[in-house]
Amino acid sequence: MEYPDENKDENRDRRITQLRKGILELAVMGVLFHERHYGYSLVRVLTESGSISIKEGTIYPILARLDRDGLVRSEWVESDQGPPRKYYTLTPLGRQAFNELSQEFDLLVSLAQRHWTEQSKSKLAVRKG
Amino acid sequence: MNEYPDAVAAIANDYLERVKAHLRLVPASEQEDFLREIQSHLYEAYDRTPGSDDVARILAVLRGFGAPAEVVSDRLPQAMVRSGTGRKLPLYIAGGLLVALFGLPLGAGGFGVLVGLLAALAGLLVAYYAVAGSLLLTGAITLMLGLTRLIAPEVWDKLVRIGVIHLDGPAQFLERLSASDEALIVMALGAMLLAGGWGLLKLGTNMIRGLRFLFNLVFDWMRRFAQEIRRRLRGTEPEKPALLVAKRA
Repeated sequence: MEYPDENKDENRDRRITQLRKGILELAVMGVLFHERHYGYSLVRVLTESGSISIKEGTIYPILARLDRDGLVRSEWVESDQGPPRKYYTLTPLGRQAFNELSQEFDLLVSLAQRHWTEQSKSKLAVRKG
Repeated sequence: MNEYPDAVAAIANDYLERVKAHLRLVPASEQEDFLREIQSHLYEAYDRTPGSDDVARILAVLRGFGAPAEVVSDRLPQAMVRSGTGRKLPLYIAGGLLVALFGLPLGAGGFGVLVGLLAALAGLLVAYYAVAGSLLLTGAITLMLGLTRLIAPEVWDKLVRIGVIHLDGPAQFLERLSASDEALIVMALGAMLLAGGWGLLKLGTNMIRGLRFLFNLVFDWMRRFAQEIRRRLRGTEPEKPALLVAKRA
């Protein structure tokens, strides 16, 4: 079935957004794995070094989810440059979860990038049969 | 350092109010903490956004920050219940069980008692006004008959003759009186009945005021009791949290 070009673009953008959203939680944990951050600094790291374009506010639902699941802990720290900042640190449980998720992610990436030869396809066909 | 120009503060406050509106089901302490965090982010983003137009800077920050609904999407109680980690969830379950086991039967009984009381009061009120109306009507008719006896005695006699007016029993003494005395006594009786009916009506107005006051008192007490229970279940404070964005003096 053929779709108009604009629909193709929309669908592509939607898929990219979904993919990024799915990976964003892992990326947040990855950044916090190395050092503590507050919301604004976390967004800066993610957008500047990772070339990820996100709405800045969407970082907070992720942080709330991680906090609720006990994967991060937070504390308010006074700042001489403005209002106090709420810093997030990965907990030991969060570090463990990040390691597990990273392995899973690597597996998925290798699966997505795998060169499917005719041989591997035929092996799958045999297994299914 | 935590200061915006007035126009910027108004825009930022409006945004925070919209975020807060989405958080109305979230406990107050959590609301305050989250709004404080958002405010901190917005301030820093604004401070680091280049440009000479303050309003354009804060609008650019808010555009990049996203819609309030997106920002609070995982802070809503529904999301907490779905994930099964809501801190107040056990309390809600316990409360639900208590209501199911005890509240409903007692509630149904209480509802029945309330309906019965209201019906009884309504009946009492109807009966009361029926008596007042009867007194007024009887008084008016009696007064008219007294006037008839005075102005048109032949009509009175005719009414006695055809049996509309019975002067039996205690009223027999009226036959021994002159027509004018008879008329005065009947009119006096009518006036007394009218006065009695009018008095009951006046008393009824005060009674309704009293009942209204009593109902308001009881319903107000029930409303405050329900609010207190809701507040305890949510673990919120009754005070409204203050706005977070400071304005430049």
